Parts: sequence; structure tokens; C-alpha cells
Amino acid sequence: MSETSARPLLVDCARQQVRVIGALILRELHTRFGRRRFGYLWLFFEPLLLGGMIAVIHGSGLRGGSGIRGTFEFFSIGYVLFFAFRGMINRASSTISSNRGLLYHRQVTLPDLFFARHIIEGVACTGVMTIFTIIAVGLGSAFPDSPMKMLCALGLMVLLAQGVALVVGAVTSEWEVVERFVHAMSYLMLPFSGLFFMVEWLPGWMQDIVVWIPTVHIFELLRDGQFGDRYRATYDLSYVAGWILIPHLLGLTGLRLARQRIGLE
Amino acid sequence: MEPTWSEAEPIPPPRPKSRLKRFFRHPFTWFVLLPTLLVAVYYYGFATPQYVSEARFVVRSRADAPQVSLGTMISAAVGGGGGSAVGDAYSVRDFLTSHDAVMRTHEQLDLTRIWGREDADAIARLWNDEPERLTKYYNSMVSVAFDSTTGVITLRVRSFTPEDSKAVADTLLAQAERLINSLSGRAREDALNVARSEVAIAERRVLDSREALTRFREQQQELDSSGAAAAAMATMGQLEAQLVAAQAELRERSAFMRPDNVALQTTRNRIEALEHQITVERLRRTQGDGALSQQLAAFERLMLEREFADRQLASATASLETARMETQRQQMYLSRVVEPNLAVYPLYPRKLLSVASIFLGLSVAFGIGWLLVAGMREHAV
Repeated sequence: MSETSARPLLVDCARQQVRVIGALILRELHTRFGRRRFGYLWLFFEPLLLGGMIAVIHGSGLRGGSGIRGTFEFFSIGYVLFFAFRGMINRASSTISSNRGLLYHRQVTLPDLFFARHIIEGVACTGVMTIFTIIAVGLGSAFPDSPMKMLCALGLMVLLAQGVALVVGAVTSEWEVVERFVHAMSYLMLPFSGLFFMVEWLPGWMQDIVVWIPTVHIFELLRDGQFGDRYRATYDLSYVAGWILIPHLLGLTGLRLARQRIGLE
Repeated sequence: MEPTWSEAEPIPPPRPKSRLKRFFRHPFTWFVLLPTLLVAVYYYGFATPQYVSEARFVVRSRADAPQVSLGTMISAAVGGGGGSAVGDAYSVRDFLTSHDAVMRTHEQLDLTRIWGREDADAIARLWNDEPERLTKYYNSMVSVAFDSTTGVITLRVRSFTPEDSKAVADTLLAQAERLINSLSGRAREDALNVARSEVAIAERRVLDSREALTRFREQQQELDSSGAAAAAMATMGQLEAQLVAAQAELRERSAFMRPDNVALQTTRNRIEALEHQITVERLRRTQGDGALSQQLAAFERLMLEREFADRQLASATASLETARMETQRQQMYLSRVVEPNLAVYPLYPRKLLSVASIFLGLSVAFGIGWLLVAGMREHAV
């Protein structure tokens, strides 16, 4: 390890990586929303529209909600989180192929492409969540019990989605068929994700099953932050941490392996 | 001097660092193996064994017990009966994790002595005796789980000796029992108090109505106004019959007697007297303050009031009886399924599981960190 001193400092490398990711974020915004002036506002507008409509359909009493289930913020904010999760996983399969040309530059690495996209999603999700919280307070709901817990839930959701997205990206670069399954799975997950229910409302045998789903714990944490003591939240964050760490390990390793196979074409 | 070439000293090849040295320089050693080693040393060398005492109980109301009565069947069908016990089980669970339970147990058992023992290891033992920190520590050592399908509440207490665990579990069970009894007693008192006050009101009304009637009778010097009215009616009837008879007699006699006959004159006088008497009677009955009609109305009102009061008393008494039976039926009690046990083998701390999970967690985190750092290095200009 005598060449350690000859290697550039890790801090410089990190600075370089931050610059690369920053540039990738700008590029991503341009390719996704065009070069027009306020095109990137769609980033916020799309989840706002969807979350708002879901909240109106489910929360306005058409489906017979009562208690916290009937409130606006239960569905709107929950849906925003799920929207970010699904968006990140569904886009993961196209991340490498759509940025293949950039790999010509040595400084651009595969994880950078993912990180840039996920930062965009995370920022958009935080913004929309803030807007929905303000709207909900404006509509007469109580102020969230603990905004910090809501932000933690958001961060965990983004990290969980990032881990899964890294794995999906690595796998789809090798077998493209998987992409179809990922899309189908992400749609099928919707009813089981914890968006529409709280664990406490379910009968006992179902509770035992749903606590195996990591997103359920994240939604419980979110609702604990939103509603506080109005119902009893059950979540285990160490389980979620496992679900975040292991896919990250697999995904990053997979991307390292994939990097050697991907040509420039 | 003729230059001479001499063999240069061979450069010694870089000595391969010994395996041990490489091992010590590797970050994996520092970030994963060392912490795991420390944790393992703590668990296997210093950690004081912790003994678990477990108790299970259910909160029941008598309504849950099968009873062959139509009322219970209906209330069970409507869903009024069984639900309350589940709610009370939740409140028992919340009570057992609250500071109230901690402080009450602390008064009886001195929890700081139990969990802050001198011979317990420094990391696991309790260091502070402020109520808030004690509650926090208590919640890490005592777990209460409620199974909503079977209704069984499981209480687990950990401490450093089996006797202490059992003592704490016993005390907590007694606290829970007292809570249930006080909750159930309160509910019973509430229900009965309402019914009792209804009965008291009805009794008051009955007494009042009787008194009013008595007073009325004394005032009118009559026992039964309706009887008096009937007597008056009878008198009227007789008078009118006599009048009709007298008129008939007059008509009959005037057919064959001279108008100035003395007998006719007597009959006429009788008719006049009868008519006068009838008018007087009529006036006496229907006009003026002491008139019979007024009297009768007041009497009937009083009688009606008495009847209503009697009925109200009867229904209030019946509902008191029902309430008493209902509270008897719904009385809650805590029945122990599993008594607190005296542990023999220390189940905690879970040494192998803790060490293994720490090792695995750190390894995965190290792997990710290594991948991220390696990714960063690729950005070198």
C-alpha cells in the first residue's frame, strides 16, 4: 500500500463526485422536463395532482372513511410517499440505458446516475409533502404531531427505494425481462404497502403478515408523526434498516459488476 | 585506477508484510471486528445474567360468560356486551406501561434497589432514580403485549435475580387487578346511582300525592268527592221524579176538579216547592266556590296524580332491579392464566444473537461504505 500517498485525497474525490451528481441533476431535469422555463415545476405538480385526487376520492366520504381515515392528509401525504417509491423503482430500469452516452466520461459512475435521480425525487417529495401539510392545516386539520418523524419516514422511504432501485438497475442491465416484472410488482404492491390501512385496524392474523412488508413500517412512522397519540403506531425501524442496507450492498456490488460489461456502443 | 565494476548490492525485494500486520492495517479489522470483539467481551465477560418472569392474564366481564337469557343474546347480537372488556384490556396495558404503575410499584418494592444492584454490570443496571428515567428504564425491562384475538395480556419482567423478577411481576399483577376492580366498581356505582335517584324521585312524588289528597279531604270534609257527587245526582233524580209525578197528578186532577179545589192547590204548591228545590240544588252543584263540579275536578286531578306517581315508582323500582342485575352481569375481573414464574435459567441477555447481529450489521454497513468510497475514488481527476 505504498502508493497511498500518491492517491488523491478522498475529500477531493468526494468534492468531484458532488459536482458530477450536481451536473447530472441538471441534465436529468432538462431531459425530463424540457428546457422551457418552468418545465421542472411539473416535478411538483404531478404528485400534487395525483395525491390530491386520491385524497379527494378516498377521504371525502365517498368510500366511507371515518376518524383519521377520513382526513385529507391521511391519503394525500401517504400517496406522495408511495408515488416517490414507485417512481424511483420504475425508472431504475431505464436509468442506465438512457444515460449510456455519459459513461464515456470516466468521472461518471453508475451509482451517480441513480443518486442524481433519487435526490430529485426526494426534494420533490419533501416539497409536495410540505405543501400538502400546509393545505391540510388550512382545511382545518390539526398541525402534525411531529414533523421530524414525517421527514424521517420520507428519508427512510427514499433510502429504501434507492436500495431497491440499485438492485433493479443492476439486474435489468443484465436481464431486461425483469423490467416487466418490476412494473407489475410495483402496481400490485399498492394495496399491501400500508398506504390504505393502519396495522391496528387489521385482524390479528393479517397484522402478523403485513409487518413483514418494510413499507408498512415506514407508513406507520409517517402516521405516527402526523397523528401522534390518536392511534397506536407499530413499527420496527431496525427491520427497515435491514431492508435498506442489504439491497444497497447488493445493488452497489451489482452495479460494480455491471460496469465492466456495459459498453459504449 | 582502472574502473572496476562491482556487483551492486542486490536491492532487497520489498519484504512482504507479515499477514498479521496486513490484518491489523485493514479497515475491516477496525470497523467491524474490533467493535464485535468489544461487544462479545462485554456479553461473555461482564454482562450480568437477567432472569425473566412471565405472567399471562385476561380481562373478562361476566357478560362474556355464556348465559341462557334472551336479554344477553340480544345484547350480544347487537354487540353491546363483549366489546367493553377488550377496551378495558387496552387500558390495563396502557396502565402497566405508564409512570403511574412505575411509581406505585416503586412505593412497594423500591425499584432502584432491584434494578440498580451493586453486583449488576455497569451498562445494564439502572443509575438514576428520577421518576422519568426510572419509567424509561422500566419500559426497557418490562414488556406488556396484548393479543387482540385471544384477549390474553402477556407481562414479562426482566431483572438481575429470579426473585426480583417474580416480585415485580406479582406486584404489577396486583396493581392491574386493583385497576380493573376500581374501573368496574366505578361503572357499577354510576349505573346504580342513576337508578337509585330515579327511585327516590318517584317515592317523593308518591308521598306528595298522598299528602295532597289527605289535605284535600280534610279541607272538604269529605272522604270521596265522587261519592258525594253521585249522592247529589241521586237526590236530583228523586226530586225530578217527584216533580214529574206531581205534574202528572195535577194534570190528572185538573181534568175532573174545579180549578179552585183545595187539593189542586196543594199539588200546585208541591210542584212549586219541588221546582224551587231543584233550582237551588242545581245552583249549589255547579256554581260558586264550593261547587260540587269544582270539587270533583280537583279530586279527580289528585286521584290521577296519585295513580301516575304509583306507576312511576313501580317502573323506577323495576329499572333499579334491572340495573343491579346488569352490573352484576357486566362486572369485570382479571383472571390469571399463567402465574408469574421463578426463573431458573437466565434468558437474557441474548449473547450469541446480539453479537451475531452486530457483526452482520457492521459487515453490511462496511461493505456499503467500502463500495461508496471506491465509487468516490473513481472520480479522481
